[in-house]
Amino acid sequence: MKRKLEISSAQITIRGLVKRYHYQPVLDNLSLTVEDGDFCVLVGANGAGKTTLLRIIASLVRPDSGEILLGDDLLGVNPQLRQRIGFVSHQPMFYQDLTAIENLRHYARLYQTSRVDETINNGIRSAGLSQHLNKPLRAYSRGMQQRLSIARALLHDPVILLFDEPYTGLDQDAARFLDGKLKQLHQPGRAILLAAHRPQRLLPIASHIAWLKDGKIIQHLPISCLSESPELEQYLQEVA
Amino acid sequence: MSPILRYLRVIWQIIRKDIRLEWRGRQGVPVMLVFSLLVVFLFNFALQLSPDLQAGLAAGLLWVSLAFAATLGLNRSISLERESGALDGLLLAPVDRSAIFFGKSLSNFLFTSLVALVLLPVFSLFYGNNILNLSLILIVLLGVGATTSLGTLLAALSIQTRTRDVLLPVLLYPLALPILIAAVEASRGVLSGRALSDSRNWILLLLACDVLFTAAGLMFFETILEE
Repeated sequence: MKRKLEISSAQITIRGLVKRYHYQPVLDNLSLTVEDGDFCVLVGANGAGKTTLLRIIASLVRPDSGEILLGDDLLGVNPQLRQRIGFVSHQPMFYQDLTAIENLRHYARLYQTSRVDETINNGIRSAGLSQHLNKPLRAYSRGMQQRLSIARALLHDPVILLFDEPYTGLDQDAARFLDGKLKQLHQPGRAILLAAHRPQRLLPIASHIAWLKDGKIIQHLPISCLSESPELEQYLQEVA
Repeated sequence: MSPILRYLRVIWQIIRKDIRLEWRGRQGVPVMLVFSLLVVFLFNFALQLSPDLQAGLAAGLLWVSLAFAATLGLNRSISLERESGALDGLLLAPVDRSAIFFGKSLSNFLFTSLVALVLLPVFSLFYGNNILNLSLILIVLLGVGATTSLGTLLAALSIQTRTRDVLLPVLLYPLALPILIAAVEASRGVLSGRALSDSRNWILLLLACDVLFTAAGLMFFETILEE
């Protein structure tokens, strides 16, 4: 039966995910569901597998076994499903010799977005970078590149947003910009999964928290119920 | 928009981006060109060959310099995609990833062919061949096509290793041996004044390499990058 991609649901369902590097399990039978409208912060120690999990959901890494569903659709079958995903990594994914507008135009064309120029202008305006349109990316600060990276991830209006340590290397202004952007993006019809080693500043913004340890999600609960998990509270205090 | 048109537009977008980056940086084609010219100059002056020997070695020298130039171009092509994780940006595009292989492969082909286009007249100056030898141009295009298809696939493999700059030529040259042998033999035949049809078997081998390495790219490119 042919599925209609237009009827997309912003739900991520992960079942029995396994990934090994050099025979060492990084993700070990991991299961997690992020519902439509959730903003889930993924916490865990360095090397816990947060980046690997996000890269598998973004279909940048192939899992050894397990399945991921975006809505009802199995990831990895139809490349068009990637249209639903926006990914902000700690790397900006830009060509440093091109200007902001050239980089965004490149991605808008790859995503075959309609009204390319209008979409790009909106993206640059929302990133607050209208003054720097024609500078090569090499001249941008880390914070400016990260803002543009968010604009890049939103060009095709994805319903699933993945962020991998987006606060790394940001100054206070850029971090505040990101706080505001995340609040704005957290809305029904969209699911956000954000990996953070130190999640304190996200607790007032996010709706859920998932703790990744030993390759499994050992806690997944609404942030309003955080007091029900003393172990997780203790872990959060330790990494603060 | 039809899926085929979407696919072709992604290929074209990757080529267009690579041309723009090359124009902006001017670090790929000029370096490839200077290096391949240096190889021709060095061999010409170092070996001090008699005209008879020169004619025999000309085809080999042409392909050695083109193979070196292609390796430099492929390394540059990888480093552009590696810098700031831009390759991930390409892989996130909602299109079959063979389009990325075709896009990168064709831009590598374009840049190496451009180098060959400048190299051939210089070469004919040293070795006394006819510049407007269409048979030779055909052989060069077939050989460069096969080398860049294979090279793009191997570049995808080596991009994930720490020794990528060294690994690419180490993998490329042994595997490209059938291409180089066929290209050298076919070029030698044409340069010695024989008709192209006399080198029919070598041309067919080159064509087979083009098809084989393009098919290998289509089949394995995505798997290699996802692993």
